[in-house]
Amino acid sequence: MSPCTWGLWRSAIHTLKTFRASPSARGLCIPTRAVCDAETIFALSSGHGRCGVAVVRVSGPASSMVLRNMAGLTQALPPPRTALLRRISDPQSKELLDRGLVLWFKGPHSFTGEDSAEFHIHGGPAVITAVLQALGSLEGVRPAEAGEFTRRAFHAGKLGLTEVEGLGDLIHAETEAQRRQALRQMDGELGRLYQDWSYRLKRCLAHVEAFIDFSEDELIEDGVLNQVDSSVRQLETEIERHLKDERRGERLRTGVQVVIAGATNAGKSSLLNTLCQRPAAIVSPIAGTTRDIVETSLDIGGFPVLLSDTAGLRDSSDSVEREGVRRARQRVEQADLTLVVVDSTQLPPDPQLVPAFLQEYLSTVLPSPEAGMKAASDRVLLVLNKSDLVPEEQRERTEGELREITGLPPACFLSCYTSTGLEDFLTVLQSRVKTLCGDPLSGAPSLTQARHRAHLQQSVAALNQYHQYRDQDLALAAEGVRLALTHLGRITGRVGAEEILDIIFRDFCIGK
Amino acid sequence: MLAQKLHLLRHNVLSFVSSRTGSDLTRRQYDVIVVGGGHAGTEAAAAAARLGAETLLITQKIMTIGALSCNPSLGGVGKGQLVREVDALDGLCGRAGDWAGVHFSILNRSKGPAVWGPRAQLDRERYRQFIQSELLSTPRLTVLEGSVDELLVSQPNPEEPGHHRVTGIRLVDGSHPILSSSVVLTTGTFLSGSLFMGQTTSPGGRMGDAQSCAGLSYTLKETLGLRVGRLRTGTPPRIVKESVDLSLAQLQAPDKQPTPFSFLNTHTHCKPEEQLPCYLIHTTPGVERVVRESVHLNCHIQQDAKGPRYCPSIESRVLRFPGRRHQVWLEPEGLTSDLLYPQGLSMTMPPDVQLRLLREIPALHRAEIRTPGYGVQYDFVCPTQLTPSLQVKSTQGLFLAGQINGTTGYEEAAAQGLWAGVNAGRTALSLPPMALSRTQSYIGVLIDDLVGRGVTEPYRMFTSRAEFRTYLRPDNADLRLTPRGFEEVGCVTLQRYKKAVSVRDGLQEALMALQSVALSSTRWREKLGNISLSENKSTTLNGLDLLQYKDVSFEMLASVFPECLSQYFEYSQRLKIEAVYRPHCEKQSREMERIRREESLSLPSDMDYLSLPVSLSQEVREILDRVRPNTLGAATRLPGMTPAGIIHLLNYVLRTGQRNRHTEHRNRSSQKEGEKGQLCASNIPISQ
Repeated sequence: MSPCTWGLWRSAIHTLKTFRASPSARGLCIPTRAVCDAETIFALSSGHGRCGVAVVRVSGPASSMVLRNMAGLTQALPPPRTALLRRISDPQSKELLDRGLVLWFKGPHSFTGEDSAEFHIHGGPAVITAVLQALGSLEGVRPAEAGEFTRRAFHAGKLGLTEVEGLGDLIHAETEAQRRQALRQMDGELGRLYQDWSYRLKRCLAHVEAFIDFSEDELIEDGVLNQVDSSVRQLETEIERHLKDERRGERLRTGVQVVIAGATNAGKSSLLNTLCQRPAAIVSPIAGTTRDIVETSLDIGGFPVLLSDTAGLRDSSDSVEREGVRRARQRVEQADLTLVVVDSTQLPPDPQLVPAFLQEYLSTVLPSPEAGMKAASDRVLLVLNKSDLVPEEQRERTEGELREITGLPPACFLSCYTSTGLEDFLTVLQSRVKTLCGDPLSGAPSLTQARHRAHLQQSVAALNQYHQYRDQDLALAAEGVRLALTHLGRITGRVGAEEILDIIFRDFCIGK
Repeated sequence: MLAQKLHLLRHNVLSFVSSRTGSDLTRRQYDVIVVGGGHAGTEAAAAAARLGAETLLITQKIMTIGALSCNPSLGGVGKGQLVREVDALDGLCGRAGDWAGVHFSILNRSKGPAVWGPRAQLDRERYRQFIQSELLSTPRLTVLEGSVDELLVSQPNPEEPGHHRVTGIRLVDGSHPILSSSVVLTTGTFLSGSLFMGQTTSPGGRMGDAQSCAGLSYTLKETLGLRVGRLRTGTPPRIVKESVDLSLAQLQAPDKQPTPFSFLNTHTHCKPEEQLPCYLIHTTPGVERVVRESVHLNCHIQQDAKGPRYCPSIESRVLRFPGRRHQVWLEPEGLTSDLLYPQGLSMTMPPDVQLRLLREIPALHRAEIRTPGYGVQYDFVCPTQLTPSLQVKSTQGLFLAGQINGTTGYEEAAAQGLWAGVNAGRTALSLPPMALSRTQSYIGVLIDDLVGRGVTEPYRMFTSRAEFRTYLRPDNADLRLTPRGFEEVGCVTLQRYKKAVSVRDGLQEALMALQSVALSSTRWREKLGNISLSENKSTTLNGLDLLQYKDVSFEMLASVFPECLSQYFEYSQRLKIEAVYRPHCEKQSREMERIRREESLSLPSDMDYLSLPVSLSQEVREILDRVRPNTLGAATRLPGMTPAGIIHLLNYVLRTGQRNRHTEHRNRSSQKEGEKGQLCASNIPISQ
C-alpha cells in the first residue's frame, strides 16, 4: 500500500491509537527492518495444459540469489527487464533442467514492488515440475499462497483503488481453486495421511502445552513428555520417508475436473459415452443404473480433462445407491466444471416457466445455491438432453426464452441418441475448458506437490527444533512443534489456540 | 520504599479512610468514578489518578478494599506474566505481592525463562493493608463507602439510536447524583449474584457482604440493552490449621531466595528464612464416594451455568475424571492466621457433608471447618460489546473490568482494571483511547481475546494463548511497557521511567559489548574449557552467539573479557535470557508486524454488515454481525472468515474513509468533537 494511501487513511479519520513500542523502545528483541526480511515466494504464473512456454515467477528479497543459482549467473545480474537466454539448472545437483529466458526486475519496478525474477521455460509438465522443485529446495524460498503475489502488489501500493476492487474477487477465485484442489487430494489416501499427522501433532503440542501451563500445580504424569518425544520422532521418520518416496503414495489426478451430474435417467452416462466416443459407462433405461463414479481421461481442444460420470441424484432407500449419491455430491463440490444434465422431456411445455424450473433443478444439484449463480455460472453448463423427443417448435421457443434470461448458466439442447446439437455443445465446452486451463491453479498437481513438499520439509525442520531444545528450554521446544503444525496446517487447514486448549482439557484433569 | 510503607501502616489507616462518607464529600463532580474495590477496581482507580484524573472509588465496605476473596496467592504460570506487566505500567499488585508475600517461588523453573511463573502465597491482612494505604496516599483519589443504585446515562441522541453517554452515578441513600465523565464498573460477582451451599440459595456476590447491584443490573440490561451471560465459580472451606495432621502431608518449601514481582524491588518484605511452607495432600476414593452420595443435595452442580474447565470444584473433578487421585494444596493464609486454604477443594455441598468429605483425607481426618465453601453464580457482560480500550461500544465513558467481563483470577482482573482506568482517565481528560497490542503484552492478548472472541467459560490466562510467548517474557515486561507507559500513556511515574530507561540503556550497551568480543570457536574452547560448540573450528563467534549455548553463562564470558564485560554483572541473567531467545524472536518479527498492522485498522462499531454493499457470503456477514470485530486484525482471527472477505472489508473501509474525508472537507463547520464512526486509522508507518 502506498504511503499516500495510508496518509489518506490517517488524515481522514479518528485514531484508535494502538499502544506499541516505538523502534527506540522496542525492548531488545525486535530487530531492525534490515534484518526482518520478507520471505521469497514462487509460483507457476501461466496456465497448464498443452502450451509452448510456461512462466514461473519469483518475488522477494532472495530473487537475485535465485536467479544467480538457477541461471548460473556468477557475475553481474542482467540489466533489469531484459530477456536473457540461459541454461537453467538445479542449484544443488547442477543438473540441467531446461534452456529458457530469464528476466530480472529490480524492486520497486516490478509487479509486486519487490525484487522479482521470471523464468520462461518449456511448457512440458516434467520441466515445470523439475523447476518448481528446484526452487522449493532453496533456503528462504517457498511456494506462494493463493493470491499472495497480488496481495504483495497491493501492500506495495502497486494496485490502484479501482484495481483493489477486483482484488477480493481475484483472491476469492484463487482460494476457491486451491480449495477445490485441496478437497480433491484430502479426499484420497494422501489427505488421510496428512490429516493423521496433523491430528498427532496437535496432540503432541497440546500435551507439551499442558505440561508448561499446568504441571506445576497438577498431576500431569511425568511420562507425558516422553510420549511426546517418541511421537515426534515417529512423525519425523514418517514425514521424511514420505518425502523420499518418489511415488508419494498416490498419483494426483491431473487435468480440469469435469463432472456430469443430474437427476436419474437424464442421460448422464450417455453423455459420457458420447464425449469419449466409446461405451465407457453402462447405459440403460433403468433409473439408478450408475452407482459409482465412472472416470475417463479426455483431450478436449488440446487440454487434458478428467471426466466423471456420477450416480443420479435422488433419495433412495438402497444403501449402495445412497453411497453413490453421496459420492456424486462430493465430486460436484470438487469439480472445476459441472455439466448439469436435464431430461428435456421433463421441461415445462410453456417456455416462460422453463427458467424457474431450471433454477430449481440447479439448486438440487449444486452444493450451495447460496454461493450465488454468478460464481457458479462460470463453472456450470446446462445440458438439455433428449432434445430429439421434444417438438421442434417447443425447443426453439425455449431456446429463445433462455437467450433472453440472465442469471442462468449457458444451456445447450443436445441429443446423445442422434448427436444433434453435439457440435454446438462441444464449442461451448471447449471454450470453458480453455478458460479454466488459463487458471494456473486448477488441476496443476506439480505446483501443489511443490507446495506440499516445501511445507513438509519445513515441518521436519521445525520438529528438529523440538529435540534440540527439549531439555534446555521447553518454551522453545514447544515453538518447534507449533511451527511444524503451522506448516502442516497450510496443507490441511489452520489450527487455533482454542483447539489446543480443548485437547488439554479433554486429556487432563486440570484442577488448579 | 518498604520502610516508608511500614511507617504509613503504623498509623491507623483504616479509620482514616472510612471517615469519608457520602455526606462530606468535598465535591459532587469527578473525572472518573470507579465502582468496586477489588483487584480491578483498585488498579483502575489508582491508574486513573496517576494519569491526572480526579478519581472517586466507591465500595460497599472500605474494610474489604484489597481483600483476597478466594485463594491467598498471586501469580503463577501466565498469571505471573500479567503481574509483571501490571507492575511495569506502575500498577499496585506487584508491589503489594512483594509486601504481603510469605512464600515465593518461580514455577516452571526448568522449562525456560519465557514460561517462568513468578508466584507467591500472601498474607491476606498485609495485602489488604498495603492496597489501602497505597490508595490513601494517591493524590487526586477519594474513597467513598456506599452502594451504587443507578448508573446515570444521557438519553440517546435521536440521530444515533442506542448510543448513550455516561454522566455519573446515584447512591442507594438517594442523595444527590455524583457526576463524572467516565465510570469504571468492576462489580465482580455482584451483578445478579447468587450464593449456593447445599440446597440453599441466597442473593449476593460474596459470603458476608450485602447483596447489591440490582439497580446497576437493570441499567446495563434494560436501559443500555447489553447482552449478559451467566457464569459460576466457587471457593473452598477454610480449615483450622491446628486440626490438620501436617505430618501426613508433604511439605512444599518456597524458593530459598525469594524473587520479587516488582521491577522496583530488589527484595521482598518477608525475609527468606521467615517464609511459610505449603503442604500437598491427595484425595481418596472416600472423597469421590461422598461427592456421589451428596449430588442430590447440591444445587450448584446441578445448574448449567458455565463453570471453568480448569478451576473446577472437587465435585466436577471427581465426576469428570473418576477413579483418580487429585492433588490438594494446603496454603497458609498469613503469618498470624490460624487457617489453611485447601486449594483444589472448592465445594458447594451442605456444610455437614463438606466436613465428612474433608475427613476422608488422612491429613484432614480431624479437620475443623472455620467457614464452609460455597458457589457463586453471577452475570457477566458479553465482552464482545467492548472496544479494545474496554469501553462499552454503545455507551461513551462506560468502562468494564474484571469478572464482569467474564474473566476469573486476581491477575486478569488487575490487568483489565489498570487498562480500563487508563482509558477512563484519558477519556475524561479528552485524550484518545488506547489499545494494547497482543504482540506486545499478555494484557493485550487478554483484552484482544475478550473483545474479539468473547467467552464461553470464565477466561483465565495461559501462556499458550500468547502467540509470541518467547518475546512476552516476565523478564522484559519493563522494557516492553514502562517507557511507553510514561511517554504515551501517562500512567507511569517519572521515578520508574528513569529506572527502566537506565536498565534499557545498560542492557543495550552490554549487548553491544558482547557482540564486540569475538574469537574463533577453537579459541573459545581453549578459554572456556570443555564446552560443546557445534560450529566448525575456524568460525568466528561473538560473545552474544556464545551466550546462546546451554552451558555458557555471562559470568564465564566476563572472566575471559573482564575489562569490557564485568561492569554488566547486574544484568547477567537478563543477558543470558535475551541471547537465547533473540534469534527466535527475530524469526517471528514479520508475523508480529503483520498482526500489528491489522490491529491498527479499526472497523466502525455501527457497520451494518448484513446490508454492506460488498460481496460477502451470508455466512461471513452473520459472523461479522454477531461479533462486530473492532479491528481488521480481530476480524481476521474469527473462525469462518475468508481471505477474500478480509480484502473486501479492507476495500470497503478504504473507500468509505475516502468518501468521509470529502464529506468532512465540506462540512467541517458542522463536525462535532468525538463523533463516532471512526473508520480506520493507523499510527504505524506501513509501507517501507
